[in-house]
Amino acid sequence: MKSFLSAAREITMRTLALLFLAPILLMFLTSFKPESEVLNPSSVIPRTWTLANYAQVLGWVEEAPFARWFTNSLFVSTSVTLLVIALSSMGAFAISRLKVPGGNFVLGMVVASMMLPTQLFLVPLYLILSRLHWLDTPAALIVPATAGGFGIFMLSQFMRGMPEEIEEAALIDGCSPWLVYLNINIPLCAPAISTLAIFVFIGSWNDFTGPLVFMDSVRNYTLPVGIALYQSSYYTEYGLTLATSVLATFPLLIAFFLFQKQIVQSMAATGLKD
Amino acid sequence: MTYATKRKVAGMVFLLPYLLSFCSFVILPLIVAFVLAFCRYDLTARGQAGFVGTKNFSDAFADQYFWAAMGATVRYAILIVPATLLTALALALGMNAMVRGQRFVRAMVFLPGMLNVAVTGILWQWFFNGQFGLFNFFLEKVGIGKVPWLSEKTMAMPSITLMSLWWTVGGTSIVLLTALQQIPVQLFEAAALDGADTNRLFKYITIPMLKPVLTFTVVTTTIGGFQMFGQAFMLTRGGPELSTRGLVQYIYETAFNNYRLGYGAAMSWLLFIVIATFAIIQFRVIRGKAI
Repeated sequence: MKSFLSAAREITMRTLALLFLAPILLMFLTSFKPESEVLNPSSVIPRTWTLANYAQVLGWVEEAPFARWFTNSLFVSTSVTLLVIALSSMGAFAISRLKVPGGNFVLGMVVASMMLPTQLFLVPLYLILSRLHWLDTPAALIVPATAGGFGIFMLSQFMRGMPEEIEEAALIDGCSPWLVYLNINIPLCAPAISTLAIFVFIGSWNDFTGPLVFMDSVRNYTLPVGIALYQSSYYTEYGLTLATSVLATFPLLIAFFLFQKQIVQSMAATGLKD
Repeated sequence: MTYATKRKVAGMVFLLPYLLSFCSFVILPLIVAFVLAFCRYDLTARGQAGFVGTKNFSDAFADQYFWAAMGATVRYAILIVPATLLTALALALGMNAMVRGQRFVRAMVFLPGMLNVAVTGILWQWFFNGQFGLFNFFLEKVGIGKVPWLSEKTMAMPSITLMSLWWTVGGTSIVLLTALQQIPVQLFEAAALDGADTNRLFKYITIPMLKPVLTFTVVTTTIGGFQMFGQAFMLTRGGPELSTRGLVQYIYETAFNNYRLGYGAAMSWLLFIVIATFAIIQFRVIRGKAI
């Protein structure tokens, strides 16, 4: 009886898991269907497989420059990730290794600022970016993102949990802080840095409000805003909008299956720490 | 230079880039947001810009659209918070009891959270569409008929909640699962030896041990609920009859479609005050009861 119950439970859980997967699977399969089959689905698996949707989406250069949005997204997300890692790890090194005076005060301010809702920053950032003449340029999406507190907070916490004797000894022996940072600190923090990189990249890739507010011309959009605009003009041509969605999603799905353990575990860890 | 000075200088050099960015894009915007909230600053009439005292706030209190947006936001929070909490808890307990296949379920449940809100919206717009939607296609086939998922006032917000649940519940359930796995097994063993049955174990060990995480979950889900924007923006644009237009969308439209930046900033502060008040009350209430 007991084993029967536990078997039933495992089957239920697996079915539920498939329920979560089903919409994404449907999105992939349907994007390969011809339009007629999309509206009158007689089977989940396409009866005729076609690349027509993808050809049309990728070929529609003027109204919806999909390749351009993809490049914009890739450029913005990569730049944000690299800059956040550089600035946050240098800052965390200054605070928890070099023990810069006032460092903990800065960290306290950063943590306090993380409690504020992002919407509070939208209007003033728009004004500041317009004064800098950065609106409608990638800089508007890249530079303000480096001010986020998550990276410096997480790396400081991580460093606090690591022994500092090696770095301290190297500093006292007269080794330059740059060498200590590059040759000892960064390698020691590699696991935390890679987790941070994954998080920052995903967050930037999926950012919707930022590009919606700060970007103006169609060719400067990133993927989420580009395809949202595209959907509002072609919303009943599901074959097309689903193909754009697949193209916008697959890099993240690949990343997810490669780094699944890290993503899921750090999700759990950061969720508990806050 | 002595060693101590050298080290101080190095520390400042290392901290400087982040500090510059933090001051320019966190501290400065906060100051600007504060000043703006007390100013009239319409991009369409820059000549008339100037200090207006608390007019923006009194305007908001007299603005029926502000209250409609506040109402929609609260309705969404009332739906999403219990839905997320119960589903996440059920999923976490289910996963925790699994002998095999836990990793697979965990990954699948988490997967939707990897999509961005535009893709999620496109997908569910296809499911929910009244005429061509997938849900109604099947409901018609089995003879139930069409359901006005997004076009009826009473249905639209629950539909948005359903999509949000699918999109975000995975992360929450993994946080709860991790907390479940950290409960010492000895507690259950000792209580079972003393004759406690499964229900009692759940009531007197699992729930109390989960309390801090559950509090955290309630507060973060509420905060997230109050910030809902993209989901309604993608599915309904705030309709029908503005019934799903939340505060964030109203702020967005005020500031960036009607270019009233001062009024938008003032409403952002009101949103912040509401969120902070709710978070504090929830922490107090949950901490006060039992344990």
